[in-house]
Amino acid sequence: MDCPVERPELDRLFSSTYEELKRLAASVRRDEPGETLNPTALVNEAYLKLARSLRIQPASRLHFKRIAARAMRQVLVEAARRRSAQKRGGDALMVTLDGSRDRAVECSGELLALDAALGELAELEPRQAQMVEYRFFGGFDLSETASVLGVSESTVQRDWRAARAWLGRELRRAP
Amino acid sequence: MSRDPQRWARVQALFHQAVDLTEGERRAFLERECGDAPEMVEEVLGLVEEDGRSDSILERELGTVADAVLDGSVPPVRVVGPYRIRRVLGRGGMGVVYLAEREDLRSLAAIKVLRDASLSPVRRDRFAREQRMLAHLVHPAIGRLYDADTLPDGTPYFVMEYVEGVPLTDYCEREAAPLRARLRLFRAVCEAVQVAHGQAVVHRDLKPSNILVTADGSPKLLDFGIAKQLEELDVPAQQTETALRLMTPAYAAPEQILGEPVGTYTDIYALGVILYELLTGRLPFDLSRRTPGQAEAVILEHEAARPSEVARAKGSSPPPGLEGIGRGAWAELDVLCLTAMHRDPERRYRTVDALVRDLDHFRAGEPLRARPDSATYRLRKLVRRQWKPLSALAAAATVVVGLVAFYTVRLARARDLAVEEAARAQRIQRFTLSLFSGGDEDVGPADSLHVVTLLDRGVHEARVLDGEPDIQAELYQTLGSIYQQLGNLDRADSLLQAALDQNRRLQGPRGTAVARSMVALGLLRLDQAQLDESEKLVREGLDDLRQTYPADHPSVIDAETALGRILQERGLYDEAVAVLDRAVQTLSGRGASQELSNTMGELANTWFYAGNLAASDSLNRVLLDMDRDLFGPRHPSVGDGLINLGAIQFQLGNYADAERFYREALDILQSYYGPDHPETASNLTMLGRALVYQGKNEEAMQALHRALAIQERVFGPVHPAVASTLNDLGVAAMQTGDMPAAEEDYRRMLSIYDAVYGPNHYLYALAQANLASVYAAEERWSDAEALFRKAVALFEETLPAGHQHTAIARIKLGHVLAKEGRWAEAEGPLVAGYEALSAQASPTVSWLTTARTDLATVYDSLGQPEKAARYRAQGADTPAVASGG
Repeated sequence: MDCPVERPELDRLFSSTYEELKRLAASVRRDEPGETLNPTALVNEAYLKLARSLRIQPASRLHFKRIAARAMRQVLVEAARRRSAQKRGGDALMVTLDGSRDRAVECSGELLALDAALGELAELEPRQAQMVEYRFFGGFDLSETASVLGVSESTVQRDWRAARAWLGRELRRAP
Repeated sequence: MSRDPQRWARVQALFHQAVDLTEGERRAFLERECGDAPEMVEEVLGLVEEDGRSDSILERELGTVADAVLDGSVPPVRVVGPYRIRRVLGRGGMGVVYLAEREDLRSLAAIKVLRDASLSPVRRDRFAREQRMLAHLVHPAIGRLYDADTLPDGTPYFVMEYVEGVPLTDYCEREAAPLRARLRLFRAVCEAVQVAHGQAVVHRDLKPSNILVTADGSPKLLDFGIAKQLEELDVPAQQTETALRLMTPAYAAPEQILGEPVGTYTDIYALGVILYELLTGRLPFDLSRRTPGQAEAVILEHEAARPSEVARAKGSSPPPGLEGIGRGAWAELDVLCLTAMHRDPERRYRTVDALVRDLDHFRAGEPLRARPDSATYRLRKLVRRQWKPLSALAAAATVVVGLVAFYTVRLARARDLAVEEAARAQRIQRFTLSLFSGGDEDVGPADSLHVVTLLDRGVHEARVLDGEPDIQAELYQTLGSIYQQLGNLDRADSLLQAALDQNRRLQGPRGTAVARSMVALGLLRLDQAQLDESEKLVREGLDDLRQTYPADHPSVIDAETALGRILQERGLYDEAVAVLDRAVQTLSGRGASQELSNTMGELANTWFYAGNLAASDSLNRVLLDMDRDLFGPRHPSVGDGLINLGAIQFQLGNYADAERFYREALDILQSYYGPDHPETASNLTMLGRALVYQGKNEEAMQALHRALAIQERVFGPVHPAVASTLNDLGVAAMQTGDMPAAEEDYRRMLSIYDAVYGPNHYLYALAQANLASVYAAEERWSDAEALFRKAVALFEETLPAGHQHTAIARIKLGHVLAKEGRWAEAEGPLVAGYEALSAQASPTVSWLTTARTDLATVYDSLGQPEKAARYRAQGADTPAVASGG
């Protein structure tokens, strides 16, 4: 992506975002059990904190959201990896009565498959992959996506539709 | 599927067309288009089919996915200490606040749990120790901090009073509170803040959401001191980030934004912003659509609009309840508000008390003390003193000998001293003194042989003036003061006494010159540690001077400063502060000066000894800036100021900060006084102590050995200063495990105190106890026991009952006995020491822990398991804190 921030600062921004999101997500889960995570709220909160504490400013909120989307993706993918490893690990001894663990493992598998498929889509059409990343992981709406990618909203809609279909197929295919 | 972008583009194009066709048309269309690539047909059809479904992961809410996937293995918080969590009250920047209930007491509390701030064991100790300070902050308008501790995994939490109320600004708006009511509430808030400041607690995060108005209409301040605690939880490198995370930009003072030191003046700024909001319904800066970085820039660079302008602007109305305030009243409110929230901390109200006083003035219709343009310390208008680059030799010669000539020339003038004459003589004297005591940093201190010779010559010259007794007396006094500065107290004594006698002969028992002589002699007596005589002389002199001169006459100010110092020495801090504060007020109207610097320095020291470290710190920082401006950055006054700041940090337990200040001071003072000067020694001792407390033993010993060498040379081998340094060396030696060295140090210390104070002095007992500690460390139990017994006996005799030294010595004795297995004998001293120590306001908890552990062992061995269990239980409840003994 073309951004006005230098590469090392970008890396730093990304790392901080990643850590912050991870921390925030975990803290919400610990402190308010039963509450569903609201990623948009997390991204907002992360932005407020990071923008204050980091000396560099992302050029705009939207720019930050892009980074946050990428970071969110990474946070979740990593968590998913850990989860699905549990299926094979020692935790298998634990029996849950409500099957929530099974669902978690299943969901993790799907997320990992999505991540892989997105990687492949990126080779076919990078902008489309970015779009999916922003919309799904970053919670971008139509106008934000269009603005950030520099295309019209109708283009976004078209591309999204095609990407969605392709990804859906890939996911069904995956073991 | 191959990774061919062009192919994909084509597939997409086909997809978008195919999807709009009917099912029948579709296959035909595709087969037509994809003649060359039949597998593409199936592909596109597959996509179209997928398009009609909506059950892939992409359709789900990310939140549910995240929920499923994120690690939820950490169990949520249900129980914190004796409290059970009921529900979440809110989430702040640093953690969650729960409503909790204590089941045994059926009482509610608010518990703030600081996530992501897991403390290392060392920091846990400090955390618990600090909260002790805050728990003493009890005031009806301050939300109580009941407890602070850590969860088993190191997560810190605070247990606070649960306060139900409405934020201050909301309350005023809701009630359409009139001006009187708003000011009344604000004043109550200020009083609470002042109480906290008086206990050296700065809030740092005052804002309306931290000030709740309860059902009975009175305000309560929350989260006192927590901000400071939170800052210290982080690694220093991250501290700026943490500080920034904590702040609400709108209420953050410029120094907070810039990461500069924070003090009571920072709270005053926040109070100003709150007042602004109460008066206008708005914040002084509109930060709503700015990033925090922009917000900071706004606060630092812009001036806020005056409240009167905001409230009376066209097109806007003042907040409900504030209509109908007159123009004059608004002008006064402007001053109140803007003075409090001035960007420059030195231009704000110096204390919350000052703000409250002006509030009262306003309500009573009296004029305010803060005036719009008043610059309390006109630092920028100051002329830096230009010291002649001559050597001390020539300069002294010029001055001292010239004085004789000066006065000789004046033979013809009238003998009666008018105010101007006296003032001028004062200035001459001061010029002389300052020349000798540090006017020019190139010149250096005036204890070189040449200057002393010159002084002698001066005295000789002065004797020549037998024909002019009053001038002679003046000179004697000047020279006497110089000798005093040089530390030659005997010489000073005879000269000053001679001056006094002479003046009495001339003026009679009372007179201005007599009064001044009395003050000078009084100050000498202070140095000679004759406090009664000192105070008597100074008070008499001051009374006389006050009768003749106006309140801001230099002689009067001098005398007042002297009196302040004496009261301080006597420990009468309130009186000392009263006297010195008045002198400072009088002087500061005239801008920065050396007199002001001296007097302010005394005031800052008085605050320090009185235990009001926050006030001392603030004042010392102002003083440091003033001295830098007045004298230049390498002047010994600046060095002294740095030492004071170091002492404050040392007192607060911030040994690393103290070290930093001491090193800076050493740099300046050493180059000024030379490496072998007692002042350097004193500085080195303080640095050494700060190093010892940090466990930097090697460096500490280097510094202390240097100090010792100087002190032995200057004071002789038998002097309390030497003993004190030996004490510090002993501690350092013990910390490195070098017991023989420690023993030698303490033995010497003992013999010095024996010689200086005699064997019936508490300091002798202290040396005994320290030596005994070395024996104990070497497991020479019987030697240790014998000596501890002696120490305890002597402490009992010489110190008031329940004194910390006695209690600790008892515990140490008991410890030794326990080590020898003499359980029954150990019990007595341990219990006695433990009880005495627990009764202290801030006991050194490491010894409490030792006592408890030993007692548990003792009772186990004596077959009294219930008692043993009791002491163990007490140990479990109280946080184990390591602190300097």
